[in-house]
Amino acid sequence: MNIESYNAPDSIAEAAQLLQGGNATVVAGGTDLTPQTESGVRQFAATLVNIQRIDEMRGIGVMNGRIRIGGLTTVTDILESKLLADEAPVLVDAADRFASSQIRNASSLAGNLCNASPAGDMCIPLLVLDAEVELACWDGESISTRKVSLERFFTGPGKSVMVAGELMTAIEFPRCANRFVAAFLKSGPRPALEISTVSMGLSCSLTDGVISNVRVAIGAVAPTPLRAKRTEAALEGKVLNEATIQLAVETAGEEVSPIDDVRASAWYRKHLTGVYIRRLLNHVNGS
Amino acid sequence: MSAVIERKTIIGKRVPKPDAPDKATGRTRYINDMVLPRMLIGKILHTDRVHARILSIDTTAAMALPGVHAVLTGEDSPDLRFGPTRDNFPLKSGKVRCIRDEVAAVAAETEEIAQQAIDLIKVEYEDLPPVFTPTEAMRDGAPVVHDDHPDNRSLGYEFSHGDIARAEAESDIVVEHQFEVPYVTHCCMGPSCAIADFDTTGKLTIWSQTQYPYNYKMDLAPALGIHPGDIRVIQPPVGGAFGSKLDVYPFEPICALLAKATRRPVKLTFSREEEFINSPTRQPVEFRIKSGVNRDGTLTFRSVDALLNNGAYTSWGPTTPVIQMRTFTGHYRLPAVEYRAQAYYTNMVYAGSFRGYGNVQATFVTASVMDMLAEEVGMDPIAFRLKNAQNSGEVTPQGSILDDCRLGECIELVAEKTDFLNKHKAYTDQRKQTARIQRGIGIATTIHNAGGAKIHKSDGCGTMLKLDDYARATLITGASEIGQGIDAVLCQIVMEELGIPIRDITIVNDDTALGPWDVGVHASRTTFIAGNSALRAARAARKQVLDAAAKQSNVTADQLDLREGHVVQADNGVPVIRLDKLLRQMHFGDEPELVMVTDYYEPNSVPEDKNHFGNLSSSWAHGAYVAEVEVDTETGEVRVLKMTVVQDVGRVINRLGIEGQIEGGISVSLGYALSEQLQISEGRVMNPNFRDYKVMTAPETPEIELHFIESDCKEGPLGAKGIAEIPAIVPAPAIANAVYNAIGIRFHAPPLTPEKVARALHGAPQQ
Repeated sequence: MNIESYNAPDSIAEAAQLLQGGNATVVAGGTDLTPQTESGVRQFAATLVNIQRIDEMRGIGVMNGRIRIGGLTTVTDILESKLLADEAPVLVDAADRFASSQIRNASSLAGNLCNASPAGDMCIPLLVLDAEVELACWDGESISTRKVSLERFFTGPGKSVMVAGELMTAIEFPRCANRFVAAFLKSGPRPALEISTVSMGLSCSLTDGVISNVRVAIGAVAPTPLRAKRTEAALEGKVLNEATIQLAVETAGEEVSPIDDVRASAWYRKHLTGVYIRRLLNHVNGS
Repeated sequence: MSAVIERKTIIGKRVPKPDAPDKATGRTRYINDMVLPRMLIGKILHTDRVHARILSIDTTAAMALPGVHAVLTGEDSPDLRFGPTRDNFPLKSGKVRCIRDEVAAVAAETEEIAQQAIDLIKVEYEDLPPVFTPTEAMRDGAPVVHDDHPDNRSLGYEFSHGDIARAEAESDIVVEHQFEVPYVTHCCMGPSCAIADFDTTGKLTIWSQTQYPYNYKMDLAPALGIHPGDIRVIQPPVGGAFGSKLDVYPFEPICALLAKATRRPVKLTFSREEEFINSPTRQPVEFRIKSGVNRDGTLTFRSVDALLNNGAYTSWGPTTPVIQMRTFTGHYRLPAVEYRAQAYYTNMVYAGSFRGYGNVQATFVTASVMDMLAEEVGMDPIAFRLKNAQNSGEVTPQGSILDDCRLGECIELVAEKTDFLNKHKAYTDQRKQTARIQRGIGIATTIHNAGGAKIHKSDGCGTMLKLDDYARATLITGASEIGQGIDAVLCQIVMEELGIPIRDITIVNDDTALGPWDVGVHASRTTFIAGNSALRAARAARKQVLDAAAKQSNVTADQLDLREGHVVQADNGVPVIRLDKLLRQMHFGDEPELVMVTDYYEPNSVPEDKNHFGNLSSSWAHGAYVAEVEVDTETGEVRVLKMTVVQDVGRVINRLGIEGQIEGGISVSLGYALSEQLQISEGRVMNPNFRDYKVMTAPETPEIELHFIESDCKEGPLGAKGIAEIPAIVPAPAIANAVYNAIGIRFHAPPLTPEKVARALHGAPQQ
């Protein structure tokens, strides 16, 4: 379809009205949209809505005791945020492994989530941070918003619970408790411009050698970014020793359902899953 | 009287390329940026089949689209054939033989209209059974790719020296190994592009990225059915070539056929995806190699069989055995050696030339096998190589004359600089432990032609040099600049001989209507061949100038010198006359003369005879590279920490240029070793993009330490040898040998991807 109208609203309200009815394509950084429309896997809708001018969708701050990041915040903003470096270094680590400087400068956080790639680099740390996304739409008279846990947001490759007319305006997650550890690992020999073969994030508390509040998220091993609940359950409340780690390696290996593609085989993805859960747990033990 | 001018040399100094500031600041207008008045945009419909009969092509809707000026199919020109063996066609008629085949082309007012027109062309096919590997292709009853080659055999080569059977029978140890090297591609930053325009008399001007403009005319002419003399080639700046522009490929005659049909200039440019699928690759090869060695470490014989996937058509890829052979047969002393290569047509994409030209493939094998044999006889990799290394005065079984061979010196120096033996032993011992990160060190060496390669009747280059009334020099050379840095080298040679500063020298080498003949940029030859021709031209101009100055000042010419724009007294540097003033006096004096000289240099190399014997190059050079790596034994990731280079370069002309060539070559070879592979499944390219075709980037580039051996080559310009391909050849096997040193696993098929290494380490079968 050809683009029939181009719009650049400067408020969420205006954007939400333009998106009403749903026959619209939202463009922010365009780093996923452009290659997808160029290669033909995705078509533009009749209305193109460039949301880059909506300043209220930018910024990183603390609100009601939670970290709130505007949907348009770029990956570079995250990488350079002092607040996030203190409060959520796992997110900053992931930003550091995200694509290249040029792409980080353009990519928006919400865009990376809305793209719903199983390998999306921002999905993994946000899943272990127990993030929620804020979705806004126009209800006929005013903006109506809902919040969805990121864990329930993804429904398949490129698919999410967002419905036509909705815009992801912000991402929120709780501030970290004491003794909270979170870490991120991503495969690939290139430090930049690498689509994850496997990525993994883990967060937990460690008290007197006992691991609790465990969250494990794994990228590129399932149709969606995966919250590895069985692996979490296998770890929860256990003394973090070699036997526990071995159990986690085995459980994670059973829990993932990777595919063979040009980047790697299912065997290698499973293998890396085991390597990474062990590394992350050893990291927790060492910290 | 001005001050005394000392003799200073520019040779061996770090000279920035003259084109660098424009490229760094974005001022350069590449061919891809060019727009001509009335220019149309051409586009090609590539097939979506790997082997199929074309039943019909319906172009009606495309022709009817407003803004479309021409739609061509193979039926419009079924008799046009081209390629080194004349087995290719600009547009295919009758059938398609691989995924990159061109079935139709359009010329339209805009890119968008051209694309719409392409989408409107309807092709009906009847699929034919395909054949993808040489092993399948050689079987009785295999699908036939070209009707005039019912056995699918394309080019074949055989060389034999000495009594192999006897050598094998008398050898203490005989081992056989197999290797397989992959499809990789050049990844030029500037995708393929041509602009064609015919004048009213039927003469073609083509703006081209070619790296061999003069023979390009000869090769393009039959694809168009015109006379080569009616083609003028203009070469705007290009975004990389690396051998990929050493042949004519279908998009170029197609662009010209569209220009002919529309009587307007037509520009045709590939998208990145087209570039990955429809431009040439490096030749993939399956090798079987049998080697003999005695317990004292003496090599006794070598027998090599190379099986080449020709793909659907023949470009230069299947001719790379000519260079493979020189490395298998020479380099290390072999009393008996044989080499056989055979290429088979398949329904795969096809290979062209690519920096290193066959030696990349050969050296991966020879350097791996040398380490394996050293281990068999219980010697270290250095001692084993030194024992078998050829020496000065030897002639290889194929007739490569090693008049000044520095192979032993290269090996000794690189071993010393890297503390090779201590590290190699320590890392071997460390394998017994099970550390997550294992370190390794590995060496590889090669021999390569360093004084051109006489694969045509001539390997020459012409030069025209003129000095104007202001002492500005213009050097018109046949040698193309494709980013390799020849312009800087030629400027240095002119400056050295004539004392004219580089900013006052113009190099012209972008138009076949102006330039004299040259074979092209390949075979590490340009500094050697074009440099020699430029040097001889500059010396002729120098003689003319100094003779005139001597006549005026009642001294002999050998008492004078040219320095910094002046004629000076050679012994004390006292200026005699400004060069520009002298040139004006010569021009406007009683016996008027202009300084304009020509030179044609033909090296003393000879073409191979039919037994592949002859000194193909005027000079040969060796390099020994050492890689130091870390292997993550859990993930299989290999990181190259350092590459130490010792290379016989003859003499350094442009230090900055030689460093750039070697660093760039290492980068190419790093990808070959670790990450690059065009993944082709049943004839279809599965990773035609930079996301999934992984070139190595700056952060993965190791520390590089360079040591040059300046052997002062007798035939070379100011002693220089060709240097450009060895750096793209040797690093990959050095890395593979270092990985072996780290983890004790031998890889027979690059690239050593993390998955491949992890599978080997963790007992999973390779895919």
